[in-house]
Amino acid sequence: MDAISINNARLRFGETAALDGVSLSIPQNKCFGIVGESGSGKTTLMRAILGLQKLDQGDIRILGNPLVHSRAARKQRANFIQPIFQDPAASLSPRSRIRTLMNEVATVLKEPLATTDERLRVILNRLGLSQSVVDKYPHEISGGQARRVAIARALLMRPSILVADEPTAGLDVSVQGDLLNLLQDIRRSEKITLVVISHNLAIVRLIAENAIVMRAGKVVEGGDVGSLFRSPREAYTRELLAAWPSITQAGPPARLVDVQDHGELGL
Amino acid sequence: MAISVRNLSVDYSLPHGTAHALRDVSLEIQKGELLGLVGESGSGKSTVAFALMGLLANNAKVISGTAKIDGKSFDLTKPNATAALRGRGMAMIFQDPMLSLNPVFTVGTQLCEVLRRRSPGSDRKTRIGMAEDALDKVKLSNPQRRMGQYPHELSGGMRQRVVIAMALLSEPALLIADEPTTALDVTVEAQIMREIIGLRDRIGCAVLLITHSLGLVTEYCDKLSVLYAGERLESGTVNEVQQQPGHPYTRMLFDCEVQIDRERHADASENRFTVIAGELPDTRQRPPGCIFNGRCDVSFADCAVVDPGDYPVGNDTEHSARCLRLETP
Repeated sequence: MDAISINNARLRFGETAALDGVSLSIPQNKCFGIVGESGSGKTTLMRAILGLQKLDQGDIRILGNPLVHSRAARKQRANFIQPIFQDPAASLSPRSRIRTLMNEVATVLKEPLATTDERLRVILNRLGLSQSVVDKYPHEISGGQARRVAIARALLMRPSILVADEPTAGLDVSVQGDLLNLLQDIRRSEKITLVVISHNLAIVRLIAENAIVMRAGKVVEGGDVGSLFRSPREAYTRELLAAWPSITQAGPPARLVDVQDHGELGL
Repeated sequence: MAISVRNLSVDYSLPHGTAHALRDVSLEIQKGELLGLVGESGSGKSTVAFALMGLLANNAKVISGTAKIDGKSFDLTKPNATAALRGRGMAMIFQDPMLSLNPVFTVGTQLCEVLRRRSPGSDRKTRIGMAEDALDKVKLSNPQRRMGQYPHELSGGMRQRVVIAMALLSEPALLIADEPTTALDVTVEAQIMREIIGLRDRIGCAVLLITHSLGLVTEYCDKLSVLYAGERLESGTVNEVQQQPGHPYTRMLFDCEVQIDRERHADASENRFTVIAGELPDTRQRPPGCIFNGRCDVSFADCAVVDPGDYPVGNDTEHSARCLRLETP
């Protein structure tokens, strides 16, 4: 059984097809990457997977169960699929301490507060966060810490699937690596299916087993990351790879990458 | 004619003390050269740009620093020292193009405004012609139509092109680009970098590219300066620094960069990302000795007490780094 399977997902926002017949299957206990540029539909796909966005057509199955848009179903889903949003501030209320947010998990899981607290202690330790972080407000912690807090909250729900949208956007390289190592470790130790949505091809190549490249709501190509990046079949994938600023090329100064510049398209 | 900044120090007064955002930072850019200023968040890279442009926040104070631009010297500690240069001698491209564009005026009005300030005698028709020409040069399709459009009608990449066209029209001696492509997709990033280089080639200005991406710097810049917690730890030509980093921080930064051609290893434990352990020091309480001590993997006893000078690296006269290991007794 796949962790997530999507069959012919279609969604239009007015004239634009945000998802234009997307089909894919994400195997369990693996890391799956979704790459693409802005407007390719990556985030819309994530929202659809989380049940935050209804599709016009097509169906999504999470661990074999069809995704249903009802309040009860959504609550139920929270037990096995959890998001980590791009902007950690979006999942942290600016007006309450982080402890308040974590305590809500106890309410949702109908678990004694002490049990949740104990699990939280272990998770914070695991994520390299100090126990005192829970007494802080979101604005008092750094961007890297906010990501960890968002991951801690997600893990507290004991999900079997984690969907991370641009988990390292806006982070410095030194902090980014730390977070990605952590996500990889957790995925293995907790047997979690990790879906990473990112425009960063280099990190997807390293952490994901399988990946798809999206463009304008369509899956351009997909497969095992090794062959996808080593010998991409589609011109678009090659273009993306060529445009990546790489430090391996110690060429003459101000060397221009081989990207076709067609200028901007007319609106 | 070289652009130079000497001994720039900037303090920010904060509720809990004074943060020393920059400490004796010097830069030199030759005409027609691209200097990449790299550093992580909080390293002070944008403060360099703002101090030069005279756009520092009210709680900032330039403690020391002089700039030499277009053959003239400026004392940066004086308020509005470079005001006369803004828009003529210097132009700036921000990460968010909407910071430079006025939402209530059309692209054409804003481009013509630049020309009106630069050459007050010119007539309207000539200005419109020049503005359209500039839009065409930065490869915006249908320049005539763009002239009548408002910034919100354009995509992020198109807006950044308009800002580059504005810089092109003002023909600055120094162009400062502060994270110009951070909000853009990789393919657009490559195109925008190409336009910045095209602009440099056309008007022969010096370019200061402020970025956190070493990939961008090694691909497009001639020279590189590395900032860390307000100090310039290393400086040199891109090739030199890349092949022989003089400072451990530079080496570690290069190691952290994830290379696109790095293949996934079948054994998952091999797919680790390199990190620099520790955190940026609090610039309010600057520790004695080397600013990077504590996160450095090759530090020794003296690093905690001796403030390192700027020592030459290798045989290249332009290449230097602030690391005690380079000190020759």
